Amino acid sequence: MNPQEYKYTPEHEWICPESKDKGKVGLADYAQSQLGDIVFLYLPAPGTQVKQGKKMGEVESVKAVSDIFAPVSGQVLEVNQTVIDEPGLVNKDPYGAGWLLRLELSKPPELDALMDSDEYDKLIAQLSEEESEQTED
Amino acid sequence: MMELLKKTPLNKVHHELRARMIDFAGWQLPVWYTSILEEHRAVRSGAGIFDVSDMGRVWITGRKAAAFLDRLLTKRAGRLEIGSSQLCLLCLEDGGILDDLLAYRVGTDQYLIVWNAGDIEQKLGWLQRWAGSDPDIVIQDKTADTVMVAVQGPAVCQLRNLKGVCHLPRFGHTRARIEDVEVLAARTGYTGEDGFEIIADAANALRLWGSFMRRGVKPCGLGARDSLRLEAGMLLYGRDMDKSTNPFEAGLGWLVEMDNGDFIGKSALLEIKRQGVKRKHIGFRMTGQGIARLGYKIVRCGQEVGQVTSGGYAPTLNANIGFGHVPIELATIGTDIEIMIRNKPVAAKVVNRQFYKRGAQNEPPRI
Repeated sequence: MNPQEYKYTPEHEWICPESKDKGKVGLADYAQSQLGDIVFLYLPAPGTQVKQGKKMGEVESVKAVSDIFAPVSGQVLEVNQTVIDEPGLVNKDPYGAGWLLRLELSKPPELDALMDSDEYDKLIAQLSEEESEQTED
Repeated sequence: MMELLKKTPLNKVHHELRARMIDFAGWQLPVWYTSILEEHRAVRSGAGIFDVSDMGRVWITGRKAAAFLDRLLTKRAGRLEIGSSQLCLLCLEDGGILDDLLAYRVGTDQYLIVWNAGDIEQKLGWLQRWAGSDPDIVIQDKTADTVMVAVQGPAVCQLRNLKGVCHLPRFGHTRARIEDVEVLAARTGYTGEDGFEIIADAANALRLWGSFMRRGVKPCGLGARDSLRLEAGMLLYGRDMDKSTNPFEAGLGWLVEMDNGDFIGKSALLEIKRQGVKRKHIGFRMTGQGIARLGYKIVRCGQEVGQVTSGGYAPTLNANIGFGHVPIELATIGTDIEIMIRNKPVAAKVVNRQFYKRGAQNEPPRI
């Protein structure tokens, strides 16, 4: 479910390394399923410097607003205008058409601190288990 | 320690449908099943069903039931015809709103009130206090013994299981049978659409719910309940009004009958009316980009002038809308205000609170 070649943050952002120092960033499937229908995205403009683990934007669903954190440090190269115009794409296709932006990595070794898909799958399994325990109580 | 959440008689059904559950006023309820937007649209274009069993259902009976309610409510219960219901308020002595509710007259000396899920003990205590030990006033909270569903949408009267109740006028109610289940059905709702609110014994909850599932009625959660009522300009107790709000500020003066004998809060309300209100509950539409949410500040020229009490995305209008309190001089329709979103003022305009009106053309905003 979660693509193997992507890297993940504990806050459920993903980055797909496109080359040594460039990558596409988006929200993981778990994030969109928790948020519900996404209706507005607030993303940094191209040229903005972002820092790993720091807030770089916000996502608004019908129900709530939540922060988007930078998976790695770098400069925003491009924002996905299609997803700005149609934020529901994040729900429909979080790993494809629903990507958010492209970054130029200023510190590529930061990628090593992120989870690979195996580790991330485990985190999701754990979260889903906790959730079902809570609701069945 | 986490307080144990109350469960409605339909709790198992929600889990089977894999709904996302949340805590709402002490109840475990679905916030959505598949998607708030899908559920919202189903109610605007077809039919949806909500578990509204969290709403309190209290029977007031006895020889003095009518006189008792006349004393407590802002609209005269004694004037209500049997088989009808009315929206009204429960006010404190100082005119503050304790709750908004629907009062149904079921018989000459038989009333049912349906009120919000919050502060139940306090509200029941309030009723008991005024009833005293009078044997001619009997107050019975039957919330736990019954189930309540709302079936809402323009297509409700195409549902065969509702055929027997579609003759009811708005706010009318009757005893009826749905799928062999004895119910009390009322033509009321909280979505701005045609629809019914249906009460039955808790033991028949699954049967009643199943009857609508089989007919393709879409299960809808609290998320859609909130976005639908917001679009329709309906206030939510605890957010848009509370004990510190009087009916005139809330824009609910139409629920107060000043010729209604002497009810609790009346003298305070007369005085408030004489002096005029200083703030007002308004509707606004975002003209700049952003979604206003509960608690956000309303500003003008850098000065905080009020707070957002409800806000969100309006799917039918494809706009961002909300409610809030502002000083009376800013409450005029067309007034420019700003909402602080992400520490930045974003433009909005005061508009009529009824953003969506059934049957009217709801054009997308031209900004």
